[in-house]
Amino acid sequence: MSSVAPIAPVPVAPTTARPAAVARRRLRRGHVARRVGINLLGLAVFTVMIFPVYWMVATAFKPGRNIQDYKPHWFPAPATLSNFTNAVHRPYFWTDVKNSLIIVSFVVVLSLTVAFLAALALSRFRFYGRTAFIFLILGTLMVPLAALIIPLYITLSRVHLINTLTGVIAMYMTFVLPFSVWTLQGFMRGVPRELEEAAMVDGSTRFGAFVRILLPLVAPGLVATSIFAFIQAWNEFIIAYVFLHDGSKQTITVWLASFTNLHGTDWGPLMAGATLTALPVVVFFVLIQRRIAFGLTAGAVRG
Amino acid sequence: MAVAESEFPLVSRRRRRLSGRRVASALAPYALLAPAAAIIGAVLGYPLYLLVRLSFEKYGLFELVRHHGTWVGLGNYRKIFHDSQFWHVVLRTVVFTAVNVTLTMVLGTAIALLIARLGRFMRLLLTTALVLVWATPVVVAVNIWRWMVDYEFGVANWTLTKLHFGNFVHHDWFASSLSGFGVITAVIVWGAIPFVAITVYAGLSQVPQELIEAAQIDGARAWNVFREVTLPLLKPIFIILASLSIIWDFQVFNQVWIMLGERPSPDYYLMSIYAFVESFRINEYGLGSAIAVVMVAMMMVATLVYIRQMVKTGEVR
Amino acid sequence: MAAIQLVHVSKEYGGGALAVNDLNLEIAEGEFVVLVGPSGCGKTTALRMVAGLEEITDGEIRIGDRVVNDLAPRDRDIAMVFQNYALYPHKTVYENLVFGLRMRKVPKEERRRRVEEIARILGLEDMLQRRPAQLSGGQRQRVAMGRAIVREPQAFLMDEPLSNLDAKLRVQMRAEIARIQQTLAVTTLYVTHDQVEAMTMGHRVAVMRGGVLQQVDTPQRLYDSPGNLFVASFVGSPAMNLLEVVLERDGGTLVCRVGDTDLELPADTVGRRPALERFVGRHIAVGIRPEALSEAGEDPDAPRLRGRVLLVEALGAESLAHVEVTGTPLDRPELVDVAASQTHLLPVGERTATLLARLEHDTGVRPGHIVDLAVDTRRLHFFDLESGVAIAAAAAPVTAAAVG
Repeated sequence: MSSVAPIAPVPVAPTTARPAAVARRRLRRGHVARRVGINLLGLAVFTVMIFPVYWMVATAFKPGRNIQDYKPHWFPAPATLSNFTNAVHRPYFWTDVKNSLIIVSFVVVLSLTVAFLAALALSRFRFYGRTAFIFLILGTLMVPLAALIIPLYITLSRVHLINTLTGVIAMYMTFVLPFSVWTLQGFMRGVPRELEEAAMVDGSTRFGAFVRILLPLVAPGLVATSIFAFIQAWNEFIIAYVFLHDGSKQTITVWLASFTNLHGTDWGPLMAGATLTALPVVVFFVLIQRRIAFGLTAGAVRG
Repeated sequence: MAVAESEFPLVSRRRRRLSGRRVASALAPYALLAPAAAIIGAVLGYPLYLLVRLSFEKYGLFELVRHHGTWVGLGNYRKIFHDSQFWHVVLRTVVFTAVNVTLTMVLGTAIALLIARLGRFMRLLLTTALVLVWATPVVVAVNIWRWMVDYEFGVANWTLTKLHFGNFVHHDWFASSLSGFGVITAVIVWGAIPFVAITVYAGLSQVPQELIEAAQIDGARAWNVFREVTLPLLKPIFIILASLSIIWDFQVFNQVWIMLGERPSPDYYLMSIYAFVESFRINEYGLGSAIAVVMVAMMMVATLVYIRQMVKTGEVR
Repeated sequence: MAAIQLVHVSKEYGGGALAVNDLNLEIAEGEFVVLVGPSGCGKTTALRMVAGLEEITDGEIRIGDRVVNDLAPRDRDIAMVFQNYALYPHKTVYENLVFGLRMRKVPKEERRRRVEEIARILGLEDMLQRRPAQLSGGQRQRVAMGRAIVREPQAFLMDEPLSNLDAKLRVQMRAEIARIQQTLAVTTLYVTHDQVEAMTMGHRVAVMRGGVLQQVDTPQRLYDSPGNLFVASFVGSPAMNLLEVVLERDGGTLVCRVGDTDLELPADTVGRRPALERFVGRHIAVGIRPEALSEAGEDPDAPRLRGRVLLVEALGAESLAHVEVTGTPLDRPELVDVAASQTHLLPVGERTATLLARLEHDTGVRPGHIVDLAVDTRRLHFFDLESGVAIAAAAAPVTAAAVG
């Protein structure tokens, strides 16, 4: 409702009277074709990428006869839970889930506490050796876990920590801790120092400012880092495989390997087991992937 | 922060510097860092030192029981360098890494470019798929692909036959190490694409729209815009992603191990597998360590490139 | 060199919001037209539609004699200078300048010749090997201009190129851009929110608001004959004083009642505005430019307003006095440029208004003084209070002939 009346428009008589409506239509058609094409391509890529995941879940719900069939059944119809019951009733399933949970909980709590302190130091202080420590953190990427297993095994056998959850927890620190330190210090750098300084002027101690000001503000970062640590610890295979010999002590990733034996592989229950193994990780990952800034290319670990 | 010139005489300023509070403040970072440093030292530092020392020792079952190795100097290294199998493994690992990294980077970037041009719904769909793939644990992923290429009932076999790519029924993908590695590469690249695609996409959205528009007005076609404007601006991200990919793909162990049922034939040995087998199957921990040390040395170049790039882009301050 | 024509151009965003509403504008060959208005008025959108960076919802845009609606930016043969310069950060100055020529496959020797010549004209020869990050703001701006010039396009489009420079540099660059445009005689469409820039640089200025073109005219005519309240309040700094008055007939003449004062309107003012007759007995808006107010002299019959001085700003060459008078200030924020009216000190009240008056630099007037302001009634502007449209003098032309 503008009460500003325009001046009589500049008399530019449209010379050729090509109606504007036609101009508009031609514009749209060319663009629409291209849009549709691109989106179709996107759909194709989507299908290719998601198919294996879909196939796992579909197989998990298919009855055995539909799985052991030369012609693939694209949809799990009729669907059944028998594979899941089979998987869950296998020896040590619940035990191994428990083991995984224990290990992961300890790893997350321990690493996050230690990493928080270290990240404080890196992001809020200037001191000799700061750069060296950063290089150390980044350099730990270079050391292959498969290589470290060798000396780790030897060391742990000396202190009788082979085949124990404690040993595994300690070893998981190898990769979870550097990553957590790096990620957390990135989050902390995002919080302006001025906030803590204002708190200190208002009467707080330095450490008090950390706890009362910084901690709440990096809480989302803490959550995200914990979840990332959780995922890394949950998914870990080779250390658990080498160091845990008893079925009663193993983790769920090792348990998954038990489906293959001399008689072949039970694909249905295996896919069910795989779905169950992946489930917590997928759920958490979807929760946090929006929060982690992708500038943290320093440590997002694949598998 | 600007500090006003103090009007207090110099003497009192100097005296303040040695107060207890200042000392505590100076020590604080070290105290905070200590636990992390200690753990990393214990769990990474010491084993790393041990790894190097082991590579100079003979350490078999006997020594394992004794908890003590025998010094052999460069003996282990001489052994592996003279072993033709070692060099085959090295070559295989290098080629494997090159193929995987190239495929991952090219496909990941292509998908990132695609995502940038998609409509909102499709973009959400594709990004969700990528996140799901990214979240899938390696152990799970390997098993899925094992199932898909199963000798008898694999859906991939059936589909390829239907599409007239040949007869893949009852085809054992792992009979030949070439096709076996093909499947392994598929698993790795499939799992690695999301990280690259999402990171590059994030980088793309940081390219200032104005630069693209300026290039378009200057007469550049889509390809030219990409090559002359987008690519150079994304160079830091590419370097980081490529070096990370090299570091990870060079170390690959789980995928090969699980895919081949924990019993890979020597044709499938990558350096990590070779080191592992030498140590834990053949019980020559010294030899295995030597192989591992060579691995670490080879990856050092990529690591240095990565660190240097992180410093340049200001990630490290 | 080509003319640019916008014919019934509109831009609609999702939800029906019209960023540009039926814009008709013609820029003749070699003419420098400035598109000016407050933020959100649609000027940048219009410019980007000419460039091809935004799709046109309705209407036609012609460059030369071609309708360019469906043409990609690269095919329109235009050059653009962006607000943030948009220099390729990883390329040297030379590479930045030569980029467009490379894209058009201009032969190497010719490329080099053109770039070196432009570099010489703009004073960039010593910087050809540097990267944008190593240049100052003014130097970057010149590189951005050079990149546009070296292409020898049919038209220049400029999107607030000076807004990132500091005040002094801006004044300097304004003159340089105007000079370059005159030398090259390239058709130029220039967008800015700064009305001072618009007035000093353009052959003609097009004022926009809310997507609608308010008036397009030479700067002087915009100043002397604003077509509506918005243009009147937008153009000119300090802004025009705007009051709500009652138009009365007093014997044979018309008078404006400002508060308790009657200002008699001279015969030829009324004569040239026959439409005023219709408003007798009604409220209208009256605009008085600060320079139309002066310290009253001896003549008791001269129209004057009496008020109390609130503030005197000494500007060196003149003084600006803020004077509180009895009268009704104009209270129609939807009709005027709100930003401009902020210069008036007092909050809007029922019976007092603040007038800005341009007084002599050595005026003896001080805050607290009661002062008589002489009103030059020949220079009053009149506006319809409902629509904001000027009650114009019949002979005032709306458009100017283009500069040949």
